[in-house]
Amino acid sequence: MILQASNINKSFTNGASKLMVLENLSFGLEKVEIVTIMGQSGAGKSTLLNILGTLDFPDTGSLVINGHDVEKLNENELCTLRNRELGFVFQFHHLLPEFTALENILMPNWISSQDSKIAHAHDLLNKVDLMERKDHYPNQLSGGERSRVAVLRAIINEPSIILADEPTGNLDEKNAGKLIDLFIEINKDFGQSIVLTTHNPDIASIGDQKLILDDGQLRTYK
Amino acid sequence: MSLTITIANRFSNSPLGNGSAAGILSVIGMGVGCFALIISLAVMNGFESLVNLKLKGFDGDLRISGNVDGLNSDKIEQFEGVMSVMPYIERRGLINDKKDYRVVSLKAVDMKKFDDFYFLTLRGISSENMILIGQDLAYRLRKDIGDEIEISSPLDQSFGLGFPPKKKLKIGGVFTTRILDYDDRYVFIPLDVGKSLFKRKSSLDGFDLRLNDDQDVSSWKKNHRLSLADEITIQTWEDLNRSLVDAMQLERLGAIVILSLIFLVAAFNLAATISLISILKMKETGILQIMGAPSDLVRGVLLTMGLRKGIKGALSGLIVGVAIVMVQSATGFIPIPEDIYIINSLPMTLYTSDVITITFIAMIFIFASSWIASQKIVRISPNDALQWVK
Repeated sequence: MILQASNINKSFTNGASKLMVLENLSFGLEKVEIVTIMGQSGAGKSTLLNILGTLDFPDTGSLVINGHDVEKLNENELCTLRNRELGFVFQFHHLLPEFTALENILMPNWISSQDSKIAHAHDLLNKVDLMERKDHYPNQLSGGERSRVAVLRAIINEPSIILADEPTGNLDEKNAGKLIDLFIEINKDFGQSIVLTTHNPDIASIGDQKLILDDGQLRTYK
Repeated sequence: MSLTITIANRFSNSPLGNGSAAGILSVIGMGVGCFALIISLAVMNGFESLVNLKLKGFDGDLRISGNVDGLNSDKIEQFEGVMSVMPYIERRGLINDKKDYRVVSLKAVDMKKFDDFYFLTLRGISSENMILIGQDLAYRLRKDIGDEIEISSPLDQSFGLGFPPKKKLKIGGVFTTRILDYDDRYVFIPLDVGKSLFKRKSSLDGFDLRLNDDQDVSSWKKNHRLSLADEITIQTWEDLNRSLVDAMQLERLGAIVILSLIFLVAAFNLAATISLISILKMKETGILQIMGAPSDLVRGVLLTMGLRKGIKGALSGLIVGVAIVMVQSATGFIPIPEDIYIINSLPMTLYTSDVITITFIAMIFIFASSWIASQKIVRISPNDALQWVK
């Protein structure tokens, strides 16, 4: 098990009212597994992904990633964990506008201070037919290209897990298809586990585990 | 180039990264602060140098006093580094022209050496049988060169009935120092006249010394202290004018503190700008944190941006200030009324220590304001930062 979330509870309070988003939720992710999570808007998919990505913390419950108990890690250790073990892909690409496509891809590598992965970045750019666009800034790329750059950025440090929060939500059908194919390819070629949230049942069908988040609980989707 | 600097460079060059008008104002603020401090200190140094020069011109570099019976001018001139020696006797006395009496300091000196020893603005001549009075005293007594005047020493009056010793002398010259009340208080008289007038003084009060230019006064005092008898006192011109020298140093310190407030205001402005940039770049810093950037990196980026703006402003102010001081020193293009200040252009002197002090003060303010502003953003979680809408 590469990721194990146990008995996760998460609520948000607004004045006197308390909204329970995740209730006693447990979840496991195996190596080289794709898990898709569906759910209505507001069901708590992003909250769950944020917790799995250590961007947010549960009220109660535990999270173990690659043997690391997240609760016991200090801030710097959490940063290292995010940098080395996790890759994030968002609906809105969240690329840094001041950096070119290549620089955005290399940013996690630069942050890690590991050996340069520029050759690897070039290989990845070639793989997604973006080599000619490597020196373009995000505002000079199309929506589909930006999404692919965001995916390459998520995998440059070869993390164990990729967390994708509705990555196709902002793309047309053709580009969404390309992106999903890329995720499948990454999973096969690099052996990375993927947790992907989506509204689209067709996209959810790529999952080895297909889950639905409802009433704060994860259930198997058939 | 480190990642921190690379990111700071890119953020600074982006349209939202420089804080637009606020950014420019913070740079200008630091520049004005630095410029004001440089110019003010240079002017204060300039006037201080002028006063010091005048004090040294009047008193000499050093004074040897106390029991000086075993010393004479020739013997002292043999000491290393001594350029000239002026024996003196000083006494409170009276100067009067029948209608008006004034209490003055009568300083009996060797008139033959007067022109060589004293660096004073003197109208008239120094002569062995004439006296020299200050211009304010001359004005009050309505006397001028060639007029006869009477001096007396009441402290040397004989016991019992009688008058104090008196002497009538012609005014040989009128000097101008413009130091405190020197022009109203001092009267130079020939040494022989002093010896005959100050009957209760059996010997000289001491010697004023002028050293060669390459001699350090304090070192000379320290080196020769042991070679002279214990009852002999050596005082530098600074020792003799301690209260004035201390007052000038206190004034200088006060000016630095007060003018540093300009830096403080500029620092608030810089902190506000960095806070604004933090808000404008919040999403980007959130993205960095999601990719695993530690808070030190994010703080470092904002700190670098703040330091760069602050240093840019401070350096501009420093360069302009130093340039103006240099041009003024070389050309004297800023005039001042000569009849009031004796000199015709604003004196400006800048020491390396002043530039270092100003740079240090500026750096403290710049660093502190940038640090405080950058602290805010690292407290925001990456998730909240990412959802920030500009």
